[in-house]
Amino acid sequence: MDKVLSNKKIIALYVLPSLLLILAIVYIPIVLTAYYGLNEWNGIGAMTFVGVDNYLALFKDTTFWNSAWHSLLLAVFSGISLLLYLIVAMVLAARIKGANLFRKIYLIPMLLSSVAIAQLWLKIYHPTNGVLNSMLESLGFANPPAWLAESSIVLFALFIPILWQYAGFYILIYYAALKNIPASLEEAAKIDGANALQIAWKIKLPLVMEVIKVTIVLAVVGSLKYFDLIFVMTDGGPNGASEVMASYMYHEAFRAYDFGYGSAIGFFLLVICLAVTWVIRKLTASKDTIQYS
Amino acid sequence: MFRKKGWMLLLAICLVLVAAGCGQNSNESNSGSKETAGESGEKVTVNFMHLWPEGVSAGQNKIVNQIIKAYQDEHPNVTIKQEVLDNEQYKNKLKVLSASNKLPDVGVTWAAGFLQPYVEGKLFTPVDDLLSGELNGKFVSGTTEAYAIDGKTYALPLEFNIAPVYYNKSLFEKYKLEIPQTYEQLKAVAKTLSENGIAPIALGNKDRWTGSLWYMYLADRIAGQQTLSGAINGEGSFMDEGLLQAATEVQTLVDSHAFVKGFNGLSNEEAKSEFLNGTAAMYMMGTWELPNFTTNEDIPKDFRDSVGFFKFPNVEGGKGDINSWVGGPGVGLFVAENSAVKAEAKAFVEYFVTQWGEQAVTGAGVIPATKVDTSSMELPQLYIDLFNEMNQASSITLFADVQMQANAAETHLNMIQALFGKAATPEKFSEEHDKAISDGK
Amino acid sequence: MVTGNVRIRNALSESKPGIGTKLGFSVLYAVLIVVAALQLFPLVWLLFFSLKNNQEVFNLPPLSLPMNPRWENYEKVWSAGNIDVYFFNSVWITVSATVITVMLGSLVTYAVTRMKWKGSSLVLGLFMVAMMIPVHSTLIPLFSLFNKVGLTDHPLSLILSYVAFNMPITIMILLGFYYALPREVEEAAIIDGCSVNRMFFRIVFPMTSSVLATTAIINMIYNWNEFIFVNTFISSDSYKTLTVGVQNFIGQYTTDWGAIGATLMISILPILITFLFLSNRIVEGIAAGSVKG
Repeated sequence: MDKVLSNKKIIALYVLPSLLLILAIVYIPIVLTAYYGLNEWNGIGAMTFVGVDNYLALFKDTTFWNSAWHSLLLAVFSGISLLLYLIVAMVLAARIKGANLFRKIYLIPMLLSSVAIAQLWLKIYHPTNGVLNSMLESLGFANPPAWLAESSIVLFALFIPILWQYAGFYILIYYAALKNIPASLEEAAKIDGANALQIAWKIKLPLVMEVIKVTIVLAVVGSLKYFDLIFVMTDGGPNGASEVMASYMYHEAFRAYDFGYGSAIGFFLLVICLAVTWVIRKLTASKDTIQYS
Repeated sequence: MFRKKGWMLLLAICLVLVAAGCGQNSNESNSGSKETAGESGEKVTVNFMHLWPEGVSAGQNKIVNQIIKAYQDEHPNVTIKQEVLDNEQYKNKLKVLSASNKLPDVGVTWAAGFLQPYVEGKLFTPVDDLLSGELNGKFVSGTTEAYAIDGKTYALPLEFNIAPVYYNKSLFEKYKLEIPQTYEQLKAVAKTLSENGIAPIALGNKDRWTGSLWYMYLADRIAGQQTLSGAINGEGSFMDEGLLQAATEVQTLVDSHAFVKGFNGLSNEEAKSEFLNGTAAMYMMGTWELPNFTTNEDIPKDFRDSVGFFKFPNVEGGKGDINSWVGGPGVGLFVAENSAVKAEAKAFVEYFVTQWGEQAVTGAGVIPATKVDTSSMELPQLYIDLFNEMNQASSITLFADVQMQANAAETHLNMIQALFGKAATPEKFSEEHDKAISDGK
Repeated sequence: MVTGNVRIRNALSESKPGIGTKLGFSVLYAVLIVVAALQLFPLVWLLFFSLKNNQEVFNLPPLSLPMNPRWENYEKVWSAGNIDVYFFNSVWITVSATVITVMLGSLVTYAVTRMKWKGSSLVLGLFMVAMMIPVHSTLIPLFSLFNKVGLTDHPLSLILSYVAFNMPITIMILLGFYYALPREVEEAAIIDGCSVNRMFFRIVFPMTSSVLATTAIINMIYNWNEFIFVNTFISSDSYKTLTVGVQNFIGQYTTDWGAIGATLMISILPILITFLFLSNRIVEGIAAGSVKG
């Protein structure tokens, strides 16, 4: 068995095409980004090698650390919201009437592009005639806040559409994982007298654990390099209150023409992602993986 | 999942890739456009990248296509290949193309600070020969200068703009308001409107350059045009008393609710719609908005007829001149230095600029950078009035964010948002400006 | 969280209905329906929005009915040229990139989770790191790479980038499922003298149809909505995709929101249909018996 499963030719055949593609298309940019980060470069003229100056400057740059903090907050919220998505997926995967229809409807928002989602939420948050403030005013709240213009709330106001945007993605994955559990397992447990909660906790959860671990990494890494809605809805403002690492990278590289510094931010962002992923995998490591039997 | 050995290997691969990557990047800059260089009669393609998509800038897009068609008819061996991107994507792509030295033969650029890195990187070619040729004397004075660096001109301007304060005449009538002649009167107007539940001024300061206009006018009227220009080009300082006072006045306006609610979170587009809908009474913007107040059929005629404008009023005791404007040329056309078809590209630019002037007035309703005789044309009164104001201007200060180098411009724009949002004091605002501008030198 | 668990229990214990369960069911359905309405909101809003002009979009509440529907927005978009070309490009580029990614991703995941070889965890690590780079950091290096090999303004540059950048996330999702697949089947197959290729294509691949559909949906959505790479690598109209159609309605000084809405509506329909079709492929887990046969 081992002999068959360690056939080098087959392994090479399965892995090499993808690996080479990744190395060319993703790793060359990664390595070049690290290298640009060692230079002073406006992206146009000649580069000047400055060693680790950009990286040192990064450590002293409060704007960067603020944006890193915002990204980290988003990562924490994304991670926590996974629990909610899991519960929704469990309900949808249960054999209740109409579950199929509900599932399809629930996933529709994930089909929308960021451009559309941003426009929708800009209309919801509009300070004078937005849906939210119109509703609050009709409920008797005088002078509700301008959600995207107040430094103290803008970040959280942005988190809601971001989390909502990705809800469908995780519900879909959890749903597929739950559906993949053989029905016979659940039935056997029922015969043994287990109630629904026990089935969910003792049987389903362990079987989708590997998927959950993966989604934690995806959610955290995705949040740390998040860009889209923030860029369209607030552009990192006001006064940098919603600036995240990726938008800061973009502003430095493409607006301020400091491509060297922007690249340093980009590469450091990768290092942070790597470190956080490593921590997550350490924390969630388990001795053995559980399979369906 | 990761083992120690794995990490070592990963590191090794990275190192190999660094070497490969560096090698790859070092011999970058000699690949021009691949078109066959043109001797007369030979087939030539000129790549032209611009930012007037058909869907939005319909007027401009149509003119571009007409000019290209006419040019191709006159020069059957030349094909003009267009690439159209929206503003933000256009700027990004220009940047990416520059890094590989693959600029299109002809493209659109902004003046001064935007232009500078491209000129320093020798990506744009001087077009002085065109200025002394057929186009000699055709440009409105003060327009081509914004595209000149060290005595050479690197692009030819297409538009010329100033920024008046537009106002809603029917709202002013309703509340018995007069056009403010002094800054105190402007504040009084704002107060009356605000008390009546009308947002006095539409401002979309998410875009930041919009707030910059207000600061610049206050600075111009209080400290004077010379002081403002001096501070921006680094000869003077933003710590000047008048400039500090201008920054303080910005915050006074904010405190008196002169601007729409949530202005720091609104885009210019969103703010504009409040003016267009009559929920805000005033709106300061460049003359490129003119079509929306004159000929654009999508906007109700009633509204268009009730739009007027006034000059930013004088501040009592200030050193400003009411005929001094903030504005400047908008976009211009460049020719790439390593274009394989430079001669044809220049010929096309010359043709384009010549044709653009008149057609832009009638077709797009914007004010061109070339001199146009408007006396024989039938034009909306608002257009004619502003056109005349522009010709009588005592000075036109170029938009600060265009004037400054990219880095300083970013600081300026960020500080504008901070100042309006009261996250920065006038002192801090000025300090940061001085620092950014001296760093840029 | 507590209520969520109650909901699940109620949902699952449908076989023994009682008064409490019935009440629970009503609550559950009420919640499900409210959430479904919220999730349908963006689609309805988009439809209304596509039938308004700029002023109506900005000044009327988002869900106000378009008083005189402006179908001319759709006409304008269709006649604005090239939409048909963009549409066709979107379809074939999305489909090919999605198929290649899911196929290659499955091969890699199989080799990593099922076959025995040194360096499998390293390879996996390489794929994971590849999803940590912010996209704007890659634009300049990638453009220069494609420029070197003559692939700028060539659809292959898009397909290669889409495959490479979506590969890591695809593998990550597949991973969680592969870990949970039973090994017994494969062991039996090998003892019967089955080759690795045969085992993968005949046994494992069909067993993962749920997750294949899931990853295909995700890939499809990402590829369909992507525009940064299209704008950067492609300059000829004949190779651009539908998202560029949306971008073309965002101008230097003005933005035609009605037309953007119409473009978004046109562009969401194909993906909505495909999604509804693909999501039916996420089926009940393989009954234990069916695999052996």
